[in-house]
Amino acid sequence: MADDTSVISRCWGVLRRPSAKYSLLTLVVGGFAAGIVFWGGFHTVVEATNTETFCIGCHEMRNNVYEEYKKTIHYNNRTGVRAVCSDCHVPKEWGPKMLRKIQATREVYGKLTGSIDTREKFEAKRLSLAENEWKRMKANDSLECRNCHSMVSMDPEKQKQRARKQHELAQRDKQTCIDCHKGIAHQKPQGMKEDDDE
Amino acid sequence: MQKLITASTVGLLLALGAGGAMAAPDWSKAPGKKITVFYPGVSPIEWITKGTEHGGAKGLKKGESCAACHDEEAADMGKKMVTGQKIEPKVIKGKAGSIPVTVQAAHDGANLYLRFSWKQPAGGAEKMDKDNQVKLAVMFEDNKIERANLSGCWETCHQDARSMPEGKDDKKTKYVTGGDVKGGKFYDLIQWTSKGAKHDGYVADKRVMEGGKGLVEAKGEKKGDEWVVVFTRKLAGGGEGDIAMAAGKTYNIGFAIHDDHTSGRFHHVSLGYTLGIDAKADITATKQ
Repeated sequence: MADDTSVISRCWGVLRRPSAKYSLLTLVVGGFAAGIVFWGGFHTVVEATNTETFCIGCHEMRNNVYEEYKKTIHYNNRTGVRAVCSDCHVPKEWGPKMLRKIQATREVYGKLTGSIDTREKFEAKRLSLAENEWKRMKANDSLECRNCHSMVSMDPEKQKQRARKQHELAQRDKQTCIDCHKGIAHQKPQGMKEDDDE
Repeated sequence: MQKLITASTVGLLLALGAGGAMAAPDWSKAPGKKITVFYPGVSPIEWITKGTEHGGAKGLKKGESCAACHDEEAADMGKKMVTGQKIEPKVIKGKAGSIPVTVQAAHDGANLYLRFSWKQPAGGAEKMDKDNQVKLAVMFEDNKIERANLSGCWETCHQDARSMPEGKDDKKTKYVTGGDVKGGKFYDLIQWTSKGAKHDGYVADKRVMEGGKGLVEAKGEKKGDEWVVVFTRKLAGGGEGDIAMAAGKTYNIGFAIHDDHTSGRFHHVSLGYTLGIDAKADITATKQ
């Protein structure tokens, strides 16, 4: 115990003592370079967890929600623009993104404990999982949708009558995208409550 | 004096004769409203108002009519349902998804005239109604039923009605929830059949195909590939389940075509529209 304490205090002493061996410039440049390497590495790892390949690396996602998403316009469309999992489920801004990643550690726990490792388990939990996500998107005013879409950029004249009317009502009532667009990329869960679609 | 009486009598007879003959309106003076009737699949009012199934339920709750969202896409909706892509478990092969209909209206102070014309679409499916190749029914509503101005005839269409997948009772017809013919909560119903019959009834707590005294005539014929059906209905109505119409007023109207010998729910229906008697509406009957 005494040895441990002396190691820590020795290290702390080295860190606090001005360097006699390296110039300030070397230390600044070295620190800057190390910072870039660390920051770049950190972001490379974070971005790797944002890829479609990473998301469907687990069979829970690949066999369930991914298969449904493949049939939707966000996967395949006229213009060839694809919104992958993270585009809808992870915020783009740094702060909210880090927060989301921290929250996602719970999903790692779920993976390790096998909470949705069969189709039956997934279906049984699907409603509560979807409700969590709807709640999150409602709370952030559908932030991920708005990364690509915005009411002000819409041209009602180019929309179908039904979409035109619904967007007009949504704007009037200050609704957010997820209020209406549940099930846009995945099937709506069984047992969905009417309140969920208010 | 005797000459005067004779002349008056002749004049009166001529006037009565002219009234009885119901001079047909000049249809070239009545503008045609294009309305697409479409195959509705299994879309009872219970489905219409269920937000988790039908996104438009929200709009309906906020006071928007079905036509406000779907009027321009009736043909597309019909195609989706008739092919079984959506809410139709029993696909009828070769059935048309929609039929564009021209609707005209006029009145002469005593009678309302409604003219419907459309081209016979392809068919050939098994005959459900062997007697009638085609039937046309019209429903009117006098702004008494909540939401009837938004949802049209759907207020009478329920999931437990006969021919619906969940309909267990073969005698259960259309009905209005809380419908009451005496209390005015009903849809006035008139029908023409290609076999030559006409019916004047109503839909309240159930559908009744008689009791009305408003329908004077329902005539239809097929010229080439075009059907033309004309209803003559007393504006005043006068019987059970007849609404009394008056100039300056508007009413809710919807209609359905049972094409290709169909019956029950296998019809093509219109969304809900308004009929005005000398009043601005989706369909206006102007005095001639």
